[in-house]
Amino acid sequence: MSRTRLTVVLSQAQGKNPARRALEESIAAALILEPGLDVSIVPHLYDLDGQHTGRLFLEGVAGDMVVLSWLYPRAAYWLLDRAGVKGKPGETQLKPEDEEEAGERAAEEEKPEPPQGIGAVDVPDRWIYTLDLRDHSDHRAFVDEVRRIAAECQARRAAASPPTMVELNVPQPAAFTPEQLMTPPGRRWYPVIDYSRCTNCMECLDFCLFGVYGVDGLDRILVENQDNCKKGCPACSRVCPSQAIMFPDYKTPAIAGAPVGAVTGLKIDLSRLFGGDDALKMAADERDRELVRDGRDAVGLTVGVPKRQADKPAGPKDELDNLVDALDDLDI
Amino acid sequence: MADDCVFLMGKFEARLPGDLLYARTHMWARPLEGGRLRFGFSAYAVRLLQDVYFLEWRIEPGTDVALMEEIGFIESSKAESSLYAPVAGRVEAFNAELLADPSGVNADGYGAGWLFDMTASPADLMDVAGYEAFLTTAWEKTQRVIKGKINEG
Repeated sequence: MSRTRLTVVLSQAQGKNPARRALEESIAAALILEPGLDVSIVPHLYDLDGQHTGRLFLEGVAGDMVVLSWLYPRAAYWLLDRAGVKGKPGETQLKPEDEEEAGERAAEEEKPEPPQGIGAVDVPDRWIYTLDLRDHSDHRAFVDEVRRIAAECQARRAAASPPTMVELNVPQPAAFTPEQLMTPPGRRWYPVIDYSRCTNCMECLDFCLFGVYGVDGLDRILVENQDNCKKGCPACSRVCPSQAIMFPDYKTPAIAGAPVGAVTGLKIDLSRLFGGDDALKMAADERDRELVRDGRDAVGLTVGVPKRQADKPAGPKDELDNLVDALDDLDI
Repeated sequence: MADDCVFLMGKFEARLPGDLLYARTHMWARPLEGGRLRFGFSAYAVRLLQDVYFLEWRIEPGTDVALMEEIGFIESSKAESSLYAPVAGRVEAFNAELLADPSGVNADGYGAGWLFDMTASPADLMDVAGYEAFLTTAWEKTQRVIKGKINEG
C-alpha cells in the first residue's frame, strides 16, 4: 500500500438490509478494478473496537483515504479521529439527493456561525473524506465522487514539493485477508466528540456518572472508557452546550451527527416549545433510568447539572429580528 | 369580552382573538356546548410551523389523556414537532378534514383548521392577556430553539 494511492474503505451497515448490502456491493464492484485505488470492506465503523482487524487495518493506512459508511460524515470523521485514524477533513461534493435541488439556494443563504472548538491534535498531512451512504440510492453517485476525490488527491500531491525520499523504508501495514477484516463485531454504544465544536467546558464529564469521560495528557476532554457507556442513553449529548457530542447510531439526526446549525436541511424540532420536556430534563431522566438499572439512586437534577444553561441570554434584538425574517425568506 | 391582541414575533404580527382561551402548548380553546372544548393552533404556533403538510394522531378518539401527554405529530416545510395534550381530559374527536389536508391549519387556524375536541375543564387555561404574557417570556426560548442551539430529541 503506497502513499500515492487512494485507500477506499467501505464500512458495511449493521444487520442484513438487502438494499444497503446491494449498494455496498455495487460500489465495491465498480471501484475494485479502478487504477490507483485500494478498496477494502470493513464492518460498521462504530462497532469496531481496538482489537478488531478492521480497526487495525484503518490504523495502518498511511495516505489519503475515503471512508463510505452509513453514518453522518461528521460522526464518521470524529469517530476515526478518536480511533487514532487522523487526517485533514476532505470536503465532499456529494450532497444528499433531496437537497441537491435546494443546493444553490442554500449556498446563498446565511452560513451557520463557524464552530469555535478546541480542534483536533496531531493531525498528519493527509486527507480523510467521509461519505454518507444514505445520501444516494444509486451507486454511481458514490463511484463518481470517489473518482473526483482520487483526482483531487493526485493533483494535491503533484502540487506539493516532490518527495525527497523514495518510499523504500516506509513500513508497510500488515496485510489482512477480507475474512479477517470482516470478523463480525458486537454492537457498541458510546459518545463521539466533535472537537471542531467542543470547547473543553467539561460539562459532560460532570454530568455523566458512569465514568465514560476523562481527560488526556493535554487536559483535553476524552471519551476515555467508551464501553462504560449505557446503551441507548444520549443524555450527555443533550447537556453539551456546543452540540459537540454525537451518538452516531441514535435515531435523532441532531444527536447522530447531522450537520449543525443550518436552518435549511434539518428541520427545526419545536417539540420543546409545544409542551415537550426540555433537553436538560430529558437528559436527567435518561441518566436516572440508567442509575436505577445499575442499582444506584436516581439523582435527578441535583448532580453535575450546568447552572449557566438554565437561562442563556439571548442575542441582540436585531439579530433575532433577522432570524425571523430569514424564516420568511425560506418560504417555498 | 377581551379585545384581540397582537404579539410581535420579530416583525410578524401574531393575532390572538380575545374571545378564546389559550394553553401553554400554543393552542387556543373555544368552549362548545356540552362541556366540550375545541382546540386549535394559535397564530404563534402556525407562524413557527409555516406550511403544514403532515399531521398524525397517536391516540384514538375517546381516549383519556394526561396533561402534556404525547398525542400526535406534526410536520411542516420547515419544522416538526410532537404534539401534547393541552389539558387533562378526554379527547373526543379529531378534525377529519385536517387529516385529509392539513393545510387547513394555515388557511384558517382559528376556524376550520381546528385540531380536536376534548371534554375537559377550562380551569387551567389562560385568557388572552395571560397567553400574551406567557409568549413574552417564551419568546427567548423560542429563538434559541429556532437557532438550533439546543440538543433536542
